[in-house]
Amino acid sequence: MNMDMMKKLSAFAVFAMAIVSPLAGAADWPPPLKEPLYTVVDGVKVDPDTMQGFRTWRQAACDRCHGPEQQGLVGPSLLESLKQLTYEEFAVTVRDGRLQKGMQSFGTSEAVMKNINNLYAYLKGRSDGAIKRAKVQELGSE
Amino acid sequence: MKIKSSSKYLMSAVVAAASGMAMANADVEKNIADSKNWAMQAGDMYNQRYSKLTQINAGNVGKMQVAWTFSTGVLRGHEGSPLVIGDTMYIHSAFPNKVFAVDLNTNKIKWKYEPKQDPAVIPQMCCDTVNRGVAYAEGKVFLQQADSMLVALDAKTGKEVWKTKNGDPKLGAVNTNAPHVFKDKVITGISGGEWGVRGYVAAYDIKTGKQVWKGYSVGPDAEMLIDPAKTTTWMDGKVAPVGPDSSLKTWKGDQWKIGGGTTWGWYSYDKALNAMFYGTGNPSTWNPSQRPGDNKWSMSIWSRDVDTGKVNWVYQMTPFDEWDFDGINEMILADIKVKGKDTKALVHFDRNGFAYTMDRTNGALLVAEKYDPKVNWATHVDMKTGRPQVVAKYSTAQNGPDKNTKGICPAALGSKDQQPASFDPKTGLFYVPTNHVCMDYEPFKVEYTAGQPYVGATLAMFPAPGSHGGMGNYITWDAGNGKIVQSKPEKFSVWSGALNTAGGISCYGTLEGYLKCVDAKDITKELYKFKTPSGIIGNVFTYEFKGKQYIGVYSGIGGWAGIGMAAGLEKDSDGLGAVGGYKELAQYTELGGSLTIFALPGQ
Repeated sequence: MNMDMMKKLSAFAVFAMAIVSPLAGAADWPPPLKEPLYTVVDGVKVDPDTMQGFRTWRQAACDRCHGPEQQGLVGPSLLESLKQLTYEEFAVTVRDGRLQKGMQSFGTSEAVMKNINNLYAYLKGRSDGAIKRAKVQELGSE
Repeated sequence: MKIKSSSKYLMSAVVAAASGMAMANADVEKNIADSKNWAMQAGDMYNQRYSKLTQINAGNVGKMQVAWTFSTGVLRGHEGSPLVIGDTMYIHSAFPNKVFAVDLNTNKIKWKYEPKQDPAVIPQMCCDTVNRGVAYAEGKVFLQQADSMLVALDAKTGKEVWKTKNGDPKLGAVNTNAPHVFKDKVITGISGGEWGVRGYVAAYDIKTGKQVWKGYSVGPDAEMLIDPAKTTTWMDGKVAPVGPDSSLKTWKGDQWKIGGGTTWGWYSYDKALNAMFYGTGNPSTWNPSQRPGDNKWSMSIWSRDVDTGKVNWVYQMTPFDEWDFDGINEMILADIKVKGKDTKALVHFDRNGFAYTMDRTNGALLVAEKYDPKVNWATHVDMKTGRPQVVAKYSTAQNGPDKNTKGICPAALGSKDQQPASFDPKTGLFYVPTNHVCMDYEPFKVEYTAGQPYVGATLAMFPAPGSHGGMGNYITWDAGNGKIVQSKPEKFSVWSGALNTAGGISCYGTLEGYLKCVDAKDITKELYKFKTPSGIIGNVFTYEFKGKQYIGVYSGIGGWAGIGMAAGLEKDSDGLGAVGGYKELAQYTELGGSLTIFALPGQ
């Protein structure tokens, strides 16, 4: 998705949040997943997109509720949740939140919305057990 | 962010000062003077948490039994305590912030108030949906809701008298603090340091709810209500005027506009000085590299004139915070001997692990010493400059972003968090519930988006190494000399407010859920303990009704220390954050939300 589109969508989301699912009808959101979903070497070195997913995880402070290793805190374990949720369900949950349960909406966070596929790839890699710890580094950066 | 013209403030402040001059809050003072009541959250305006009641005492507290219990119906962290005025107890809950008025004659609920609040504020409340209780004055009960609405209720009927919006929850400006009534004003603060909220305290007329003044923690002098020539601070070994732009000079660019310095602690008031005292929290973000400078006046102790909001003096404890040592903890006022000299003192146990004794009349720094020997991020506070001497190894700014700085003591929870200490005029000592926890801290670059988290560091916490293995201590502190007198180890952080009484006892709760009373003269002597339904993060209080003394406390685990409890944690893993050390709590307690009231049998 290009940036202009993203801005329009997030501006729209501000108005429409919690009334309708503003992005649910958008044909190009969530953005497609990549093939392969992630690449990981030695359990901690990941491809640039998955690295971007990790940065998104930190930027959004997901660890505040889901724990520094995604193991769960006030919020549920994402190591478990990512075994249950489809990509679309995951994306919609992040966008709209689950307010009554204490999960906020990230619909106005451009960093999260535009990286939702990368965030998913990173967390799925953690949930699959392929990525061995929360902190990762970019392949070839060492 | 709303910024109003400061001249308008000053004008309205002056008018209010003239009209409110003769009216110290006689009603609150009268209620406090009668020890049968528990009329304010701390029992008094000095934040001493001390009661003159003696029926329950060191000799008989061991026989204490549960008199009655009450469930708030909310299973989240319960901080603060109820109030008791005459024959009525005012009980509050965590979000959705219910208030119950209970008739002590019949234990019947006279009225119940439950505000409707947007559930979007739930995730915005850092560290659980706690509320630290209500205030009472002149027939009104004041509730500071999570969504920032400040409400005055008719104490007889529970009907709304007025309500006013104190912040913008859409930007993360929510509330957990208790409102405080000083003179003819109800004073409140704001939370949201992890959302880039610019902190302030605001005073509202208790009759109308109209805002009288509002003083920011950071930014231009006029908006902080600082007079560069008259407001003083501690520098070069003396009290001196802060000078112009004392805050702006210490920030890069416009970072102050999202600069934190929130104000969610317990405030105190000295009638003789007509001054209120409180602390400001961490600068935003937690990544220090993004905000070079001292970030004044985050992390500071403040004295403000209650009529005008004008700043008398201010002292920054942790310039350029690199650890989230959020300086909001209570300011306890006590007239004690400091290094042998009679002093109108202010005593403060900061998150950064240092206990400060100041001259509250002028802000002179008298004592600054570690109240946990494990504190390692600074060697000491230089008494001339008032600045902590930071150890390079533990500087998360010097180590830089994306580097994990390990073994910092204390953890971001602080050697003490909001759980308030007590002062016992009979022993002259402070009774301090503490954390004994250290951390690894890794800052990283973060971008600001309005209404989204703005944190910028990952933390892992663990019990202080090389100690007793526990995560807390209950200590007595000699504030005149800056020395620990006794230290009683606890398995978990002591996250409950202390109470001392003229009966020679000191009581506090534990995260496992025990109410404990110890001998005030020797706190290692446990005289009483009882397991309440859930972990305790509330504050112990006492009152008398129909000739009988009662001691009470909320139980209901939560808050930062208890955040792991809701998740059903079973798996172990490498980086554990707050959960690591506290995980074992699951062997002792589950969520709760109830009040337990104790008394002696018979009579």
